[in-house]
Amino acid sequence: MTNSRSKTPNLTRRGALKGLAVGTAAAALPFGAFAQQKQITLRWWSPQGSPAQVEAYKFQIAKFEALNPGIKVVFEASSDEGYAAQLAAAFSSGQVPDIVTHLPSFSVASYYSKGLVEPFDDVIKAIGADDFYPGANDVFKAPDGRYIGTGIGNSAANMLWLRKDLMQKAGITKAPETWDELRAAAQSMQGGGIYGAPLPYGRNSMTSLVFIGFIHQAGGQVFTPDLQVAIDSPETRKALEFYGSMRKLCPPGAANYSWGESLTAFVSGATATGLYAGRVLANVVKQNPSIADQITCVTYPTISKDVAPWTFNDFPSVFIPAQSKNKEAAKAFAAFLFNPEGYIKQLLAAPGHVLPVLKSIGSNPQYLEDPIIKKYNAEVQLMSSAAAGGFNLGYESKKHKSNAKGGEVVASGAIATLVQRVVLNGDNVDAALSDTAKTIEGIMKS
Amino acid sequence: MTTLSQASSVSMRAEQTRLERRYAHLGLLLIAPTVLIFSAVIVYPLISAIYMSLFSIFTPTLEGKWVGVDNYVQLLSASEFWWSLLNNLIWTVGTLTLQIVFGIGMALVLHQNIWFRSLARSLILFPYFISTVVAVLVWKWLFNDLYGILNHLMMSAGLIDMPIDYLGDMPNAMISVILVGAWKYFPFVVIAVLARLQSIPDQLYEAAKIDGAGAVARFFDVTLPQLREVLVVIVMLRAIWDFKEFDLIFLLTGGGPIISTQTLPLMVYKEAFALNQLGMASAYAVVMMAIMLFFMIVYIRKTREKSA
Amino acid sequence: MMRRTVFNICAWIVILIVAFPLFWMVVTSLKPQSELFSRPPTFLPATLTLEHYAKLLWETNFLSYFRNSIILSVMTTVVVVGVATLGAFSLVRFKFRGRETLAFLVLFTYLLPSVVLILPLYLMLVRLGLSNTIFSLVIAYTTFALPYALWLLRSFMAGIPEDIESAALVDGASRMEAFRDVILPQLLPGIISTALFTFILSWNEYLYALVLVNSDDTRPLTTGVMNMLISSFNIEWSLLMAASVMMSVPLIIAFAFLQSYLTRGFGAGGVKG
Repeated sequence: MTNSRSKTPNLTRRGALKGLAVGTAAAALPFGAFAQQKQITLRWWSPQGSPAQVEAYKFQIAKFEALNPGIKVVFEASSDEGYAAQLAAAFSSGQVPDIVTHLPSFSVASYYSKGLVEPFDDVIKAIGADDFYPGANDVFKAPDGRYIGTGIGNSAANMLWLRKDLMQKAGITKAPETWDELRAAAQSMQGGGIYGAPLPYGRNSMTSLVFIGFIHQAGGQVFTPDLQVAIDSPETRKALEFYGSMRKLCPPGAANYSWGESLTAFVSGATATGLYAGRVLANVVKQNPSIADQITCVTYPTISKDVAPWTFNDFPSVFIPAQSKNKEAAKAFAAFLFNPEGYIKQLLAAPGHVLPVLKSIGSNPQYLEDPIIKKYNAEVQLMSSAAAGGFNLGYESKKHKSNAKGGEVVASGAIATLVQRVVLNGDNVDAALSDTAKTIEGIMKS
Repeated sequence: MTTLSQASSVSMRAEQTRLERRYAHLGLLLIAPTVLIFSAVIVYPLISAIYMSLFSIFTPTLEGKWVGVDNYVQLLSASEFWWSLLNNLIWTVGTLTLQIVFGIGMALVLHQNIWFRSLARSLILFPYFISTVVAVLVWKWLFNDLYGILNHLMMSAGLIDMPIDYLGDMPNAMISVILVGAWKYFPFVVIAVLARLQSIPDQLYEAAKIDGAGAVARFFDVTLPQLREVLVVIVMLRAIWDFKEFDLIFLLTGGGPIISTQTLPLMVYKEAFALNQLGMASAYAVVMMAIMLFFMIVYIRKTREKSA
Repeated sequence: MMRRTVFNICAWIVILIVAFPLFWMVVTSLKPQSELFSRPPTFLPATLTLEHYAKLLWETNFLSYFRNSIILSVMTTVVVVGVATLGAFSLVRFKFRGRETLAFLVLFTYLLPSVVLILPLYLMLVRLGLSNTIFSLVIAYTTFALPYALWLLRSFMAGIPEDIESAALVDGASRMEAFRDVILPQLLPGIISTALFTFILSWNEYLYALVLVNSDDTRPLTTGVMNMLISSFNIEWSLLMAASVMMSVPLIIAFAFLQSYLTRGFGAGGVKG
């Protein structure tokens, strides 16, 4: 946006605002001093706060506190839609949480590039760098060679979920592998109040993230490996065309769908296919057990068999904000999160949803004994391997440089807007694409 | 004699001015807390906002560089700004009109002696009292594409074949937002109008009846002029609140589809927290305030002229 | 007679349509989750259940959000009404320089959207060591509640005849005594009405609560419920509706007791400029 200016860094007046706030700072000092205590309190934020998960977190906290008297840990739930604003407020005020988990890796990269994140190398060492699946930490490697955090798990967010009973009824014998097969299958399973698929067409991050997957499944990319905007391509056009053709196979409300609605649509039996990570398993078992024996998943189809599947893994992370006043304690706690007993509990709070990043956990009998993991062993195995080879906008392929602006590109809604303009509004594809490219270029430069 | 009375009146006047001065001091003392709070929580943030709008600032770090009026130049040339402004006006005018019309109508009904009047009043006033969060949740559930009762009722009545997408299509989304806004806020109009109706002297109606005025004529000749004063204020208050409404639209559609229901407050939020451009966000906010100020001054002028 | 009946029936149909969302909210909250997914939807619950209420009360943080909301709204109301009553008294009954300007500024503060104030305000609260406390929200809420309360009370105050105050002054009372003994009782309906509006505004606020407060210990209901129940992993409508019903309970109670004050209060002062 202000591209002529960003090339003249001499003009930068760092912390212009901080000066503004100093006036009030002096007056408030006594309060700060008053609040000092010997006891260390760690604040832990995560947008993943379903009741079962929170229970597991509490278990981990209790264990840690028992081992470390003098340290108290407070868990504070955030949300996928809210964390950006909350963290922005926290960073700008210096009142940061000491440890943050489950944010997508590209958000962490964005914060790191602004100096807001503490390097994580020693925590990874403490956990045991060799125990991670090979390459699991590549996505967290900053351009300066340090690690900005690590994965607290893996997720395969865009699995294609299927109903075996409906497939049988429609005479479909094998899971779709290409877009054409998927569309045909969805078409033949639609009817009687059941829709083909719950793809999101909303103006939200899910639509952006899912559609980035479709671009890759068409063989395209959003950025070139050296981070030039490459979204305006024939592949994106094909993806838009296919995505648009699926609109009539999705529920009418899909124009507002985000993760929750999309998941619920499949779990409740309203759609024949689903697009989600492993939480489908736990939710089906709990909320709609009548279809529990009928569900399975495969990697999401691509435009043709020549294009390899592209699994979206947001690489749920752990990181420590640079402004934390208790970094040592936070690092100890971060490492403790991977302690098998607690870590397994945490993973099993939503079995198959967040997948382990440590080899020793993936083969741990305690983990494998879980009834859901056991029942859906094939699906969990598939998701694990798909997630391990997964990518996201901060890390589109192994060749791509790390993209510190991925978070902003998703948050700007530029890609979801593209989908909405072309699919819902029927806008001219060329105009919409060139606008989108311009918007993204603006974000990259700002 | 004369000198004496003069002297006493002089001293009385002196006494009076002393008292007046004391009163003025007391008056200042009483308003002091208000002024203090205003300066701290409104004036200071406001000045910061104007100051920030001259910088390009990354929200999480607050690192800024001076850009002067660049933000404003960029903003005024961005089509998204004009679209948001247009949406803002459509939303405000649409929902405000419905609130006023429906509010007056319902106040007239409730002013009558209808069955279970106090229950009726409570039911009508209720939407205003529940939180926006609750209102939005309830309406989203009513609007739900798969399990929503609205689609079901309309389908079984044969009005539609397929469920309607109330929030994701245009113009449905804007209409839905306007309707929910009207539903939520019309009771405010009802309360105020009802209170005023109760204080209109019955003689006025009787006189009109004697003159042979029908019900409709009585409404336009007696009721409406009596309501004028209160309506002038309500319209302004509601217009201001509707113009800057954030929660309802943000939670209901988030500004979508595309930017069809994105109003200026949502734009400010997006710039500040999604794009992390605090300076730009402040510029939007300042422009938004300027627009409201303009409308308010025009409105006050116009209504003053008329009543004078 | 016939016309009356027709009028009544028509009026009640409209009223019931307006109230329908609330009816539906209650009905949904009493249905088991599985019944929500049945199509076509059942109009009345086939099986009544209170499980969602029980779940909210015993298994979630709902009660602690509820407590926070009560504390927050009561504190805001007390602070705002207290300050505004004195302020309105001063603006209406005292003459001093800048009075008119002040009155106009009050009106102007109306125009400020919350999104503008939120970040500077947050920075300030942090500097004061108040971030992430209920008190920080009280301060934030005065930004929109105080101008409104001042405005309302000013018009109520203007509706009280000046002679009764003068009479008290002639009887030898000081200004503040006259205020306490004569004006306050007269102003009571106005104060109750203003308090009620302030309470509602603070009970229902969402944006400040979203950005300014991050811990479950201080979160009020609006953001607490959204955060807890609307997520990317599940949307349980019956639970949401149960939460909605319970969020509205205090308002129903307050309203049931104070409804007459609310309307009467408005009549006494009128919403005059």
